[in-house]
Amino acid sequence: MNDVIYLGKKVIQFVLVIVLLSIIVFYMSRLSPGDPLMSYYGDGVERMNTAQKLEAMDKLGLNAPIYKQYIDWLANAAHGEYGISYKYKQDVTVVIGDVYKNTIILGGLAYTLNFLLALLLGIFCTLHEDQTIDKIICKVGVVTSCIPSFWVSLLLILIFSINLGILPSSGAYALGQSNNLTSRIGHLVLPLTVLVLSHLWYYTYMIRNKLVEEIRQDYVLLCKVKGLNKKQIVYKHCLRNIMPSYITIMAISVPHILGGTYVVEKVFSYPGLGSLCFESAKYHDYNMLLVLCLITGILVVFVNMLAQVINDKIDPRMKHDRSEIDWNCNTATSI
Amino acid sequence: MELQYGDFDIVGENYLAEKINVTKKTSFLKSLQEKPYISMGVLLIIIMGCAFSGVTMNHQPTYMDLRNINAAPNRTFYFGTDSLGRDIFSMIWYGGRISLFIGILATVISTSIAVVYGSISGVASELIDDMMMRFTEIALSIPSILIIIFIQAMIGQSNPLSISIVIGITSWMNISKIVRSEVRQIRNSEYILAAKCAGGKFFYILKRHLLPNFISAIMFMVVMNIGSAIATESTLSFLGIGLPIEIISWGSMLSLAEKALLSNYWWIILIPGVFLVVTLFCITNIGDYVRKKNNKEFSNL
Repeated sequence: MNDVIYLGKKVIQFVLVIVLLSIIVFYMSRLSPGDPLMSYYGDGVERMNTAQKLEAMDKLGLNAPIYKQYIDWLANAAHGEYGISYKYKQDVTVVIGDVYKNTIILGGLAYTLNFLLALLLGIFCTLHEDQTIDKIICKVGVVTSCIPSFWVSLLLILIFSINLGILPSSGAYALGQSNNLTSRIGHLVLPLTVLVLSHLWYYTYMIRNKLVEEIRQDYVLLCKVKGLNKKQIVYKHCLRNIMPSYITIMAISVPHILGGTYVVEKVFSYPGLGSLCFESAKYHDYNMLLVLCLITGILVVFVNMLAQVINDKIDPRMKHDRSEIDWNCNTATSI
Repeated sequence: MELQYGDFDIVGENYLAEKINVTKKTSFLKSLQEKPYISMGVLLIIIMGCAFSGVTMNHQPTYMDLRNINAAPNRTFYFGTDSLGRDIFSMIWYGGRISLFIGILATVISTSIAVVYGSISGVASELIDDMMMRFTEIALSIPSILIIIFIQAMIGQSNPLSISIVIGITSWMNISKIVRSEVRQIRNSEYILAAKCAGGKFFYILKRHLLPNFISAIMFMVVMNIGSAIATESTLSFLGIGLPIEIISWGSMLSLAEKALLSNYWWIILIPGVFLVVTLFCITNIGDYVRKKNNKEFSNL
């Protein structure tokens, strides 16, 4: 019974946040300047007279007051109709449906790789704390995390695509070969490298810091006195204890990696949600931007809540201690 | 038997004569590890070079020399020219001013918002505090690049001022969280109560009592924020939704890179980027030093 109430609370919280988010984003998108008619009809707008313009506005539902538009939009959204993309003149869902898988593949792979490597590197650095190898890794890590991802992309393209000519520089697959697996993998290598290079250190650093803090606890001393060696202590005891922090870091990093993916997609002209975002921003395609924001927001909020639930399950101490969760993923450090 | 002076060694009798002159000798390398002198020096050079760009430039940065388009680095153009025929060496110093200006202005904006918001949230009642913190969590849940794109799309054509405001209002959340938790710890202290009783207004207490307490906790994030603001600006300009090409900054210089890529003009991409990365690295190093000064414990392992 308690579980049901707990779950219900979470769901209500989730729905509330999403509704709030959609209201904010909707208002922003409707209040913003820029002419949606222009992006829908292109240059045709200049040939229209006022009556035609009004009619067109009516057709696109731009005349009603905003709160009414929002309610209409919400009602339509319940049926799965999220409006027309002004730029592609298609349903938003259709446009997104074509490309969202690409983003999931790229983002998902980047996410998994980042966290696997971060954990391994974090443990390695902790075991060799303050030794030369740890210091070298730290310095290299700081350098890589300083480099803006778009510039790494440019360098990699310059080296591997232009000069060596071994890897493709744009797209998700070679022309007409959308089912060719090797082609797809070839196109994934560079974006993935960039995503791992530019994000890995943030998480390695946070995990390393947590572990370094953990090995200063008293129980580590006890383990050591009992005769366990370093690796056993870290793997069997410390790792378990930092798991909640690890999961929290994983959760807060979702917007971070997603944002990185969007930028990288744009640089490599990889057809995905990110490229779509920049396109729609350029052409004032607010219906599209709205849905993209919402998708991202829902994903992130969902992951955050999931992390909380998991943490509550594996570590009952966390239930009353939500303030402990730190959100400082943007600045590369946990405090 | 009588004891005489000299039977015993008096410990430390002539300590002055025996005193070995030990001046605490810290090797140069060691002091480098403690304080980021190199980073500070390099950063200073870059800032000075940008601030006095009139002296460091050897060409007019906005002048498009059509006879020397895409020239490789040579004696007249130290770093070559870009695809509009502008001298990259001069552009770096000239454009650095705008990049650094955006970094600092955006940080000032975000820090002020964060300090005020965090303090209000910290001293407010449970309910309001909870709501304000939920709001920051929502704001944090959207990738900031997406919010920036959104606002940029609303603003349209941007200039350095508008872009720093946009970056500023999208990067205050992390700092405000720290401010809030710090304020929460000290808000019931006697001296704050006393200040309140004496009729101190909110902003007076903030400036006089709260700020000095949490300034060290947020200082390193503020430093880091300068770096990330510069990086964000360059990313935006590169992607074509930031500064236009006519306004020279390190980011907008790189926005010509796509054309340069095809013809393998590496200097257009490499050189401004190196400046950008070196600056960011120095700022990060300094920020790291600020943070490390506070906590150091010994391992039990």
